[in-house]
Amino acid sequence: MKIAISYPPIVNERGQVAMVSQNRNVQYFKTPTYLLPVVHAQAATWLRDIGCDVRWDDGNAQLKTFDEWYAGLLAWKPDAVVFESTTPVMKFYWKLVDRLKSDLPQAIMVMTGYHSMRKPQETMDSSQTDIVLLSNHVDFVLTKLIPFIAENDDWRRSCMIDGLLLRVDEKSVRSTGTFKRVEDLDLAPDIDRDLVEWKRYAFENGNFLRTPGTYATSVIRDCTFGKCTFCRYNGPDLTFSIRSVEKSLNEYQRLIEDYGVKEIFDDSGVWYRGEQARAFARGIIDRGLHKRGCYFGFNTRFGYLDDETIALLAKANFRFVLVGLEAADEETLMRLNKGYLPHQAYQNLERFTKYGLHPHLTIMVGYYWQSAEQLAQTVSTVRDMMFKGLARTLQVTICTPLDFTPYHNECIEKNVLLTNDYNDFDMSRLIVKTPIPHDAYYQAIRDMYGIALNPRFLARQLRFLASGRIRDTEFLFRYGWRALRRVRNHVYNLTSRGTQG
Amino acid sequence: MDQRPRHLVQSVRYLTDESFVIRVERHSFFAAAGQHVTLGPRQFAINREFSIYSAPDKPYIEFLIKARAGSETALALRQARPGDEVDLAGPYGEFVIAAPEERSRRYLFVATGVGIAPFHCFVTHYPKLDYTLVHGIPRLEDRYDLDDYESGRYVACVSRETGGDYHGRVTDYLREHPVDPQRLCYVCGRSSMVSSVYDLLRAQGVPSDNLLTETFF
Repeated sequence: MKIAISYPPIVNERGQVAMVSQNRNVQYFKTPTYLLPVVHAQAATWLRDIGCDVRWDDGNAQLKTFDEWYAGLLAWKPDAVVFESTTPVMKFYWKLVDRLKSDLPQAIMVMTGYHSMRKPQETMDSSQTDIVLLSNHVDFVLTKLIPFIAENDDWRRSCMIDGLLLRVDEKSVRSTGTFKRVEDLDLAPDIDRDLVEWKRYAFENGNFLRTPGTYATSVIRDCTFGKCTFCRYNGPDLTFSIRSVEKSLNEYQRLIEDYGVKEIFDDSGVWYRGEQARAFARGIIDRGLHKRGCYFGFNTRFGYLDDETIALLAKANFRFVLVGLEAADEETLMRLNKGYLPHQAYQNLERFTKYGLHPHLTIMVGYYWQSAEQLAQTVSTVRDMMFKGLARTLQVTICTPLDFTPYHNECIEKNVLLTNDYNDFDMSRLIVKTPIPHDAYYQAIRDMYGIALNPRFLARQLRFLASGRIRDTEFLFRYGWRALRRVRNHVYNLTSRGTQG
Repeated sequence: MDQRPRHLVQSVRYLTDESFVIRVERHSFFAAAGQHVTLGPRQFAINREFSIYSAPDKPYIEFLIKARAGSETALALRQARPGDEVDLAGPYGEFVIAAPEERSRRYLFVATGVGIAPFHCFVTHYPKLDYTLVHGIPRLEDRYDLDDYESGRYVACVSRETGGDYHGRVTDYLREHPVDPQRLCYVCGRSSMVSSVYDLLRAQGVPSDNLLTETFF
């Protein structure tokens, strides 16, 4: 069968392109950031491995216009097209599916992703989608489903693979029940870098200090913690699955030796901790990969990595540590189920920086309860951390309820949503009622991004040069300019449409 | 100003060289049977998730913990003394029994090691539950608080010693003792065990909607 795994170019009225961003949410950016969709890339690889003709069809990374992308897909005549859903692009996808069904009536439209898996019936009702995957393990399900379809003409009625909503005919759909939550990720293949044209994602990504960089095949699918209420990796339908240290180390070695990669980032919701993190670091050192000019990075959370582990990671040439500081006040952290306390943020950042790692803070503002005092506390804490050199970079996003996460459902229950139009859920402005004017949150975003231009921050970066670490010099002189460009882009995106709702 | 109640350690009960039960004050903290929390010594830099071992109606909260070398939080909790304070957040999770009052329901609980904690919580909180608990452990001494389980309901699958109810892994036991597909099955432990047991139970005809999993890390 011919399977297209497709990411159409989606352009908004301001000429910005929808890019996947933090937590794989979609944000519209003028300056591109290309993030490799890891699980779908594994699905493409695996489908190819079992004999399917696979089209890796990322129109954004391939720099296509929508019309070019669409014409190319039609000309290829796929048997099935796989999309990845998230709230702000749902309406676009439903329309697109219907258009494709009219141009390619025989092609099977498959919707994956965290929005449609939570509201599968909605996608069936709103479009001619044939199959909605209820499972986040897109690769595991597709590699069972596609061969089944190929071998069974009556697949709509006979398929019993777990975790599907299938369109049986014009009037009915049927579910095959709950999906398997925990998969053995060692069974899934490493991403075929050539198949997904990895270099298209290797440069325009703010997480890379050195390029070409790449995303590793994630060692954790979704998140080991999985409780943060705003996060799409949280929900009764989700847990985490894990990949072995050895298999991941083999991939790192291959990426460095065969592809010349200079920075590898693992976008697992939360990376290994404890014994597995230490085993991974030891493996990097034992294989000599820490001396090959390649930095390593990952997402973690405050309260997860102990001193011994961090020291070992630093020795193994880990650099970038992305960590969520969603707020600095205890009430918000508790309401978000962050599972850590404000003092732990400082303690953990001190540990990271002590060993020369570069912490990157991901901050959010605009919770429906967030008061002026809580907002001010977040801004002042972030400023303090940046001035003290406890964090090197940051990104600030508007907390937008998405994909029917617990926070999204909470916003619906409490009737604080200002819009029900999915197009408005694009993180470009606040869409919840708040106790203070929305402009206060936008100003907080500008204030936090403005830290990068503050003389105290710059002076701290200069002081880091005394450490003698190459990464600190690179950070200041190579990354600084790129970071400023991105800061300008972020501030524009997040606040230019801001009006009090 | 910190408004949270202070949870003081009441006792630490050592079960084996590595495993122990730590009991802390409950105050008004409520968690449903089967839920977990993040726990660590007060002002500690890191914490960990632990399922609650004791029933929700007890005036204290207990956790069953295994402290291996390199496990900073667990080792620190093992050293705790009565009166020490812990930080506790939560509760989290949906690994709960939805309708414990339905007496006709039969349950299968499958755990390895300290993954037995939520099941201990279930059976001590819902005494009339019709269950079989299959527990995978390396040694006989890991049959924690054996007396808390009704006679004939607890099956120890001991992999490194003889003398348990079954010599081998839980997956071997389940292969040799197929499950009635009508049972509601709960599986708790490490990722690889959870994945294997899930596949096994599905192959034995247990519907996916009757399978609940909780993964330890």
